[in-house]
Amino acid sequence: MSNPTWQSPEAQKRLAKRHAAERRFKALGLGAVVLSVAFLALLLVIMLKNGLGGLDWSFLSGADSTNPDIAGVWGAAKGSLLTMLVTLLLAFPMGVLAAIYLEEFAPRNKWIDIVEVSINNLAAVPSIIFGLLGLAVFINTLHLPRSSPMVGGLTLALMTMPVIVISGRNAIKAVPPSIREAAYGIGASKVQTTFHHVLPLALPGILTGTIIGMARALGETAPLLMIGMRAFVATPPGGVTDPSSVLPMQIFLWSDEIDKGFVQNTSAAIIVLLVFLLAMNGLAIYLRNKFEVRW
Amino acid sequence: MILTGILLAVVGLGLIGWFVGRGRARLLYDGRGSMHSMPNYHGWHLALWIVVPALVVWAVWSGIQPGLVEGALLADPAAAALPDNAMHRSAIISQAYLLANDPGAAVFASEAQALAAPLRAIITRFSLIGALLVAIVAFTGGAYGFTRIRARFEARTQVERVVMGVLLLASLMAILTTFGIVASLVFEAGLFFKDVSPIAFLTGTHWSPGNAMGADIDENFGAVPLFWGTIYIGAIIAMAVAIPLGLMSAVYLTQYASRRVRKWLKPILEILAGIPTVVYGYFAALTVAPMIRDFAASMGADNPSTESALAAGLVMGVMIIPFVSSMADDALAAVPRAMSDGSLALGATRSETIKKVLLPAALPGIVAGVMLAISRAIGETMIVVMAAGAAANLSANPLDSMTTVTFQIVQLLTGDQEFNSPKTLSAFALGLILFIVTLVLNIIALRVVKRFREAYE
Repeated sequence: MSNPTWQSPEAQKRLAKRHAAERRFKALGLGAVVLSVAFLALLLVIMLKNGLGGLDWSFLSGADSTNPDIAGVWGAAKGSLLTMLVTLLLAFPMGVLAAIYLEEFAPRNKWIDIVEVSINNLAAVPSIIFGLLGLAVFINTLHLPRSSPMVGGLTLALMTMPVIVISGRNAIKAVPPSIREAAYGIGASKVQTTFHHVLPLALPGILTGTIIGMARALGETAPLLMIGMRAFVATPPGGVTDPSSVLPMQIFLWSDEIDKGFVQNTSAAIIVLLVFLLAMNGLAIYLRNKFEVRW
Repeated sequence: MILTGILLAVVGLGLIGWFVGRGRARLLYDGRGSMHSMPNYHGWHLALWIVVPALVVWAVWSGIQPGLVEGALLADPAAAALPDNAMHRSAIISQAYLLANDPGAAVFASEAQALAAPLRAIITRFSLIGALLVAIVAFTGGAYGFTRIRARFEARTQVERVVMGVLLLASLMAILTTFGIVASLVFEAGLFFKDVSPIAFLTGTHWSPGNAMGADIDENFGAVPLFWGTIYIGAIIAMAVAIPLGLMSAVYLTQYASRRVRKWLKPILEILAGIPTVVYGYFAALTVAPMIRDFAASMGADNPSTESALAAGLVMGVMIIPFVSSMADDALAAVPRAMSDGSLALGATRSETIKKVLLPAALPGIVAGVMLAISRAIGETMIVVMAAGAAANLSANPLDSMTTVTFQIVQLLTGDQEFNSPKTLSAFALGLILFIVTLVLNIIALRVVKRFREAYE
């Protein structure tokens, strides 16, 4: 009744070999994941070990100094805050309006194709190129104040806008046509339909994308290096035109210091930055889970 | 500043106009169907007529006012005592501006004290003229807008036309940014290539912009070592880490892991992508680079350097893992289930199915993902700035210090040299090359991804 070929020792051996290969492959996959996660854990543990001792109130409320014991992170954090404010005020409205236009109103023609291609490409252009743009246009041509949160915010806004446009378009696309048709049905115009019905429903998705884009901008260093935000600033900036530093730049500047005390400061500043980023991403996930509607 | 005050006043007037327009339109309502537009739209229409022309005048005036003030100041009798030397003169005038804005400001030119009072008067005079002009335009616009409020007036159509204009302008920002990038890079790189021949730049093997002077300037701007360092770190070492780890992670998470494990592991893996590059750079410089140096020393390398291509490339590879993994994830998910089901039904094991069916079918998508990952790696700046080193070596030894295009851009532009020297301009030439290479990689990759998706739909 049984097929002798399948029960022969050769076949059994081959089968065992194939199953062993299967187990090896699975272990390889698990190994890759574990290795990546282990690297993340190592990074976090080393930063926590080096930096946790330096986190106290005077560190969180002080500004930069040449003395590692009194140097603090508030000056840079305030610079980051002002820069992000400028970025948000510019990139969010622009990005949302552009997403609305491209998704709801744009005619299908060559010009709109060019806009779409350039948005997709801008999202992948290296950030340092935006720094070169900021240097050439905002500082050398328009003579805006160097090292200021205003120029930093402008530069980062150009970088963040494509991210907001892309996520905004996806969020608007996800709103089902029935919503629009219902609005048309009771006599709403196209603009009314978009702003009264489609936009509010797409807003959670847009906000999630915006927060993720802002988190990326908050961690960005290279473009700000180009526009001179690496100045030593011992007092927190008072406004968007004052010279200032930002958190990632402070990390970069301290990492260059020879004094051993700055190792602790650098790691502590990294913890502060990572906490901010974690909070932003957490907020994005919360918003997505709470408000996202599955149609 | 008075100009800022005017701006706020205009916005305030617009707000008043909105309420006035809406109130007026409400009075016109006498029963269903008696009006074309809702009162709100009449409010918006009136507010736009007040704000837009006034803002245009305000912008023009703030553009020309400084020139007018300067002219009036020089014509003032108090300016007759100014020295003829242009530099001295402009120094005094700028001090006078400081004093005029803030009487307590510390200045060292005594002549500025005498100028401050007349200057303040002149600024006030011109600001008042500007305010008056803006007010006239705002009220004229408002009056015109007000006369148009009628029951049959199509206020909504007008307002929506403005909204469409604003939407179109916002979406044109993307083109404007792209154009700005290309224009500024091409312009500055053009200035650079006036001094240095492009052929020497693209084929020379000696890079030392610091001592580039005079006749042999071409010989010091050979960018090949930079290109090599960039490719070696970004496209070879980083990819040797990121491709196997990213691909295998994606395979494990999509094919083997249970839903619960996947739900936890995927976000954790994505944290790697969210960590700022400056943190990776610091980690590379603080931990990874010394580890590699000690390892090299124990292997018998004599005098290994702390800054090595290997350290930067390794850490960069880890940074790219989630990116490769999510691209591979998408590519694997796009393969129709029937294909892997067919293979499993024939008796192939899971790993055989993955290796013989899934991966070949997903290959175009994976290759596109790798191209995008390379374009991201070669544009990465902070890791190489902090860990790769400044020496332009043309070597294949991963333990050597190597430099990259992005590192040199930072190096060339963060010093305090004059802006138009070939040294600083060369940064823009490097930026242009980087931009073109990443652009080409992105365009090809996006095309492949699009075509690949269509093939299975």
